[in-house]
Amino acid sequence: MTHLFWMAVFSTLVAIVFGVVAKGTNRHRLIYGLKVFAQFMLIALALGWVLYFLPFR
Amino acid sequence: MFTTNDGSFFGEGESVVGEKQSRSDFSEAARRRAWLIGAGAWAVPGLGHLIQKRWVRGLFLGGVVWSMFLIGFALGGHLFTIGGREQGLAVLVPALWMVGDLGSGLLYLLCWLLNLGFLETPQATARVTFEYGNTFLVVAGLLNYLAMLDAFDIAARRKQ
Repeated sequence: MTHLFWMAVFSTLVAIVFGVVAKGTNRHRLIYGLKVFAQFMLIALALGWVLYFLPFR
Repeated sequence: MFTTNDGSFFGEGESVVGEKQSRSDFSEAARRRAWLIGAGAWAVPGLGHLIQKRWVRGLFLGGVVWSMFLIGFALGGHLFTIGGREQGLAVLVPALWMVGDLGSGLLYLLCWLLNLGFLETPQATARVTFEYGNTFLVVAGLLNYLAMLDAFDIAARRKQ
């Protein structure tokens, strides 16, 4: 839970910066920021599940 | 070319137009000012935008960088510097992290002068959030580089 929480905090903060410095209208930048956040979360979760099944110990 | 909208979220003048001004009508004084603003933006996160009265943008960018820096320490992270135990090419590894950390500007330099936050204690490394802390600290610096470039672009009238 700690990992997921801090990953969400990290994704939120980075997405804010990416959205603010992006080009386009405010609406474009807001959507871009949300996309970045969603991508961070989904890719991290997907990678987490992939690594879960790999026998690293 | 992008056009501005009603500016409901960031306010008028915050949206990017994407116009590029020719170098010829960009005076030497304005160029110097842009470089100074860039340096200020690096030194104090958010300052580059606040100087240019981009209040919302400055508060967002500065707020994020400062928050990430402080959260990084709270999670047990530490700053990187070269001159540790590494030898040969292994020096490059902490050097890369250091370049990221250095993006935080005076925050990093102040910690370096006070010798604060560079020590990798066993208690800190044992924390489950230790690597998160390091990542937050490095990314705070990297995001400030991005904010610095944004402030410079605005000052150089490459962005609005």
